[in-house]
Amino acid sequence: MSSRFALRRTVVVASASALLLGTVLVSGSNVATAATTPKTGGILTFLEHEPRLDHLDPARIYTGRDLAFMNSFHTRTLVAYNPVPGAAGANLVPDLATNTGVPSNSAKTWKFTLRPGTKFEDGAPITCKDVQYGSSRVFAQDVINNGPTYMLSWLDIPKDKDGNSIYVGPYKSTPEAQAAYEKAVSCSKDNRTITFQLNKSIADFNYLATYGVISPVQKKKDTGDKYDLNPQATGPYKIVENSKTQLRMVRNSNWSKASDPVRTPYPDEVIIQFGLDEEVIDQIMLEDTIPTAMNFGGPLPTNKDKFFTDSKFQKRRMNNSDPYAIYIAFNVKAMPCLEIRQAMYYSRNAKALLDYAGGPTYAGSYATGVISPLVAADYAPTKVVGPGSPDFMPEGNVTKAKALMETAKTKCPADYKKATEDGITLDVRQSVTLNDTIPINEAAYGRAGIKVKWNIISSGYYSTVMNPEKQKDMSASGWGADWANASTVIPELFASFGGFNLSQNSADPAYKAFEDKVNLAMKTTDRKKQAAIWKELDAYAMKQMWVLPTTFGKAQEIWGSQISGVFFWVPQGNPAYGKMWINN
Amino acid sequence: MLKFIGRRAAFAAMTILIVSAVVFGIFSFLPFDPASLTCGQRCTDQIVEANRVRLGFDKPIYEQYWLFLSGIFAGRTYGAGSAAFTCPAPSFGYSFNENACVTDMIREALPITISLAIGALILWLMVGIGLGIIAAKFKNRWPDTSSSVFVLLATSLPTFVTGLALLIWVSIKWKLVPLSLTGYTSLIDNPYKFMQYFILPWITLAIAYAAIYTRFTRAALLETLGEDYIRTARAKGVGERVVFFKHTLRAVLAPLVTLAGLDFAGLIGGAIITETIFNLPGLGRLTLRSVYEFDLAVVLATTILAAVVVIVMNLIVDMLYAVLDPRVRIV
Repeated sequence: MSSRFALRRTVVVASASALLLGTVLVSGSNVATAATTPKTGGILTFLEHEPRLDHLDPARIYTGRDLAFMNSFHTRTLVAYNPVPGAAGANLVPDLATNTGVPSNSAKTWKFTLRPGTKFEDGAPITCKDVQYGSSRVFAQDVINNGPTYMLSWLDIPKDKDGNSIYVGPYKSTPEAQAAYEKAVSCSKDNRTITFQLNKSIADFNYLATYGVISPVQKKKDTGDKYDLNPQATGPYKIVENSKTQLRMVRNSNWSKASDPVRTPYPDEVIIQFGLDEEVIDQIMLEDTIPTAMNFGGPLPTNKDKFFTDSKFQKRRMNNSDPYAIYIAFNVKAMPCLEIRQAMYYSRNAKALLDYAGGPTYAGSYATGVISPLVAADYAPTKVVGPGSPDFMPEGNVTKAKALMETAKTKCPADYKKATEDGITLDVRQSVTLNDTIPINEAAYGRAGIKVKWNIISSGYYSTVMNPEKQKDMSASGWGADWANASTVIPELFASFGGFNLSQNSADPAYKAFEDKVNLAMKTTDRKKQAAIWKELDAYAMKQMWVLPTTFGKAQEIWGSQISGVFFWVPQGNPAYGKMWINN
Repeated sequence: MLKFIGRRAAFAAMTILIVSAVVFGIFSFLPFDPASLTCGQRCTDQIVEANRVRLGFDKPIYEQYWLFLSGIFAGRTYGAGSAAFTCPAPSFGYSFNENACVTDMIREALPITISLAIGALILWLMVGIGLGIIAAKFKNRWPDTSSSVFVLLATSLPTFVTGLALLIWVSIKWKLVPLSLTGYTSLIDNPYKFMQYFILPWITLAIAYAAIYTRFTRAALLETLGEDYIRTARAKGVGERVVFFKHTLRAVLAPLVTLAGLDFAGLIGGAIITETIFNLPGLGRLTLRSVYEFDLAVVLATTILAAVVVIVMNLIVDMLYAVLDPRVRIV
């Protein structure tokens, strides 16, 4: 299991990219700055356009970049990915624990023993009780939200009549519910070993332990949702400023290298400067005005050529595949006609949209399903959609789309009328790129006689499209595996119990056979056999066109001339921030 | 005078109350559910309802408004159990996006916006009035023509172009003014850093406003110089210097003060573009971000704050008017 290639999931809904196209990838350079002996000292600065990180609270961080960043510097987890270049970076290594987890009882029971000598930033020793408490917080979904929620369904805690856990977190649970939680997550008498009792076999539960959702939090320091502003550090850096301008971290005097085999903190300080104009960030990079800074969000599409065609940036750039599969989910309840869904896929002009986004060099490649090639073991081109499939044409296969519409005309006349007269409504997030992509899409679908309308959502995108009452016919979205197992992709996106099922496909006649196979895959402990089932299910979902796959994405990184040690951290889909150092 | 101030203050308070009620009403009737905006991907009905109760959105509108008003004077507690928290008075609500009391957010942003507005005001008044005087004194000669060119250029260039150009060329390419990324430092703590932090934003804003003030000052001076009382003063043998600075300029100052007061109030409400370009975490950027993120508590508070500033500035301008123009009598 330790050799598996792991990713983290993150939902990406960029209207532009979601409407753009598909990917295939895997290539991407994995450039590391000319390696010299690492140096200690200096201030490592990240320049960021966004006004803040989504979350700092370990239980609420769920985006790949933020996980890679915070877990490199600030937050320790029971288990971690090994921060080294190449495939070895996907190996699990013990972090706060002394091992990568010990399963028993057919992987329904998992034990982690804590390493001695670990402390919080205030000097308090980290105990099993702290991990037990920290792991309980995610159950308070009204307060601690947005993080991974596997614990809610996996822990062996009784459910209420609606199927929800009776435990609602440490803030307002009844004593009975609290006792049920403490039975499922228990500590040894010496307060050093934590045991998780699961309600089913989860062979890769320890991958979840790379997330802060299972990490120590001192009960007395927990301030509910305000904990997000300044969580207690367990790693080599602690937060000393979290303002509208910057997140500043300095060395944590209560962290010791002896207790942490994973991290090698080189800079004296780590700073993220927030809210900078994207063009200004690119200009700073182009001029190398701050040689110790990295562009945290990647360059603007308009500037990418400047960085990636000029040899002077050769040691200061990286262009890698990112872990996301971008797609447009069909609301199968609202669009039950398979032929119309397929006609939309074949009439779409994937090439025009990919070119608009930067082409294969920067934007990625045409998707062949929802399992990204970065989930190496479970990936195979489905040969149903995208390159390798017989009818795929990047500009759109209009002949096939028209034929499918002809079939739909007699097979599902009501849906045909909706598609050709009333119009199919797409949920998209507000973006300036819509001005350009909407005409491309309307013209493309129009070739098959399909009319589209747009539901442009300026805020609260997820809460809107995930609400069946509010979701329209199609919703732009994206997904990356939480770790290198499609168990964090296929069930999440398409099973009725999945956490991100936008397809509402459970009433589809083709669903029952699909779910049976999903359940079989979940129970299958032979990894090769399991991978074969995931591949089969990816193809099955594409045949049913429950989503319209667009791209497998790419991401670019640029940094200043005095930063060294940059490499692509495969499982996190981002640079290994904690391994960078300042030359001078 | 005191009676005047008292009366105007009472009027201002009533206006603010009405503005707050109207703004609160508008936001309350917007077609979306604020509770649903507080949760993430796994947004179940249970979570939405729990948040609705936690943040008080379950109560009738009039009760929510009362809670909002009373919070300003008595503070407000949200939630229950060990995750409860209090925003002390004056509380303008709680931002679920930022996990912060709105008053704290405004407290952080306000000094930056005030510093930006005051510095820019001083700069544009000096440049605008100065150039206006020169243009009027040298009417139709090269200083006047030059000032017209400046006015034309400055009014043609949008703030985001001026700001970005200054930042990219002056700071990044020429490195004349160091990039100031470390955040706001108060004038008292470090005057040098303060100046470094604000100089380019001040210039950006001042360029736009100074052009308007140049034009206004020139036109008003030329118009006043043609007034009968100026001719009379000259006929009486009053010196040209006295005629210009005492009788003409003073008369022009009164409308200038009105204009400056309102412009200043507008800037406090939000110099959004300038704050965004220069990454100044002031009220403008706070408002903009809150609008994008539907952070209604913050939008409500900043809207009311902007209204308060306009009302207060109007009051101040009215009082200054009486000082500057003896013909105006406060009744």
